[in-house]
Amino acid sequence: MWAVALRTLGDPDEAADAVQDAFVSAYRKAHSFRGEAAVTTWLHRIVVNACLDRMRRKSVRPVADDELIEAAERDTPMPDQTGEREVSMEVSAALKRLPADQRAALVLVDMMGYSVEDAAQVLSVPSGTVKSRCARGRAKLAPILSHLRNRTDLSRVSSAKGAELRDG
Amino acid sequence: MTGDTHYDLEILAELAEGLLDASTAEQVREHLAACDPCGELLADLAAVREVLAATPTPAMPMGVAMRIDQALAREASGGRVGLVESPDWDELTREALEPVRLGVVAEDGSIVPARNRRSARRRRWAMPAVAAAAAAVVVGTAAVGTSLMAGGGGSPVKKDNMALPQPSKTSLGYVVTDTDYNWSAQDLKQPLREFFAAAPASEGGGVDTKVTACVSKVSNRTKLKPFMVDQSEFNGQEALIIASWKDKVAQRVRVDVVDPFKCKNIVKPTLGSWN
Repeated sequence: MWAVALRTLGDPDEAADAVQDAFVSAYRKAHSFRGEAAVTTWLHRIVVNACLDRMRRKSVRPVADDELIEAAERDTPMPDQTGEREVSMEVSAALKRLPADQRAALVLVDMMGYSVEDAAQVLSVPSGTVKSRCARGRAKLAPILSHLRNRTDLSRVSSAKGAELRDG
Repeated sequence: MTGDTHYDLEILAELAEGLLDASTAEQVREHLAACDPCGELLADLAAVREVLAATPTPAMPMGVAMRIDQALAREASGGRVGLVESPDWDELTREALEPVRLGVVAEDGSIVPARNRRSARRRRWAMPAVAAAAAAVVVGTAAVGTSLMAGGGGSPVKKDNMALPQPSKTSLGYVVTDTDYNWSAQDLKQPLREFFAAAPASEGGGVDTKVTACVSKVSNRTKLKPFMVDQSEFNGQEALIIASWKDKVAQRVRVDVVDPFKCKNIVKPTLGSWN
């Protein structure tokens, strides 16, 4: 949930506030949890909503300076692998350019590996909406991130999907 | 459609998501079979997914986990103790987050604050919330419990009962404290005096030259005179909290939060009040 909040909001302070709000709100609403969805889905929905609320309230956000992004990345519990960190910073910065809805969809589906259906439940929208938000978000990110395409450490990630599409 | 007219990224992304109707999808695929530039664009789109999937997702910093645990603990006990007025949550959090630190009695009878926990803190905390909750309980039970009770009566628990030496001026012209407190952006908006006041000062000779060098650097940058420096954490990350007078008469303080290693500001400097 921290990862979702951090990636959606792009700012560790905001993410911390959002997650805290979400957990307190989940605690208060626990009695209304009816088991119609998995607990994690329900919690994620609350976290994502807390993030989206925050983004809407501050719709005119100042572009966070590099220091803030760096601060976010420094919280990463991994040893500093410079290349990885650079990519991570670029991704954070690129995500910030997307509208909130598209960003939230991409964070869940592409970063967290949620299925479209699960993401749809978390976001409380139909699957088709998640798909089109992902599609539009990826279309915006493609020119920004295309230079990362040939990085060796990404090549191990299968691109079978792309090949499959190209071959029909 | 032929080689002269290309599809834009959005159409290609929709194709990839299976959002196009069958005949349009067929058209686009035919075009893709013959058009290298559009094939490249499609590969770029696939790369976006791969880059996003490969981007490491950081674990929640310990400080955040503890904040949440405490918020939940307050939530849990709030109903039971039946507080008349809403307690000052920030005050409670601060009390709870400050680990109880016992000093060591030196040969001459003076009390030396316990130190050198820095190595333990340098580990990057990647604890699940449950484990963090356990830690928070160990550190904070007494403080949270008593503060909650006191909250009804209106006065926060004072820490006078702890054998901590008072901060003392050093030849540096500023006081260096070592609170181990995990600062948040919210704290910088509060009266700052309370955050520094109860803190034990680092004893003479205990101040790292790296710290003094960094404080001088910040001072040169801000053209202000620092008077309080806390070696602690900001959002779970090691930091120097440097307070300088912006306007002593008005009790306005500029706070710089810097990384102790690179001496770079971690967050934008803030202007707060001392009292």
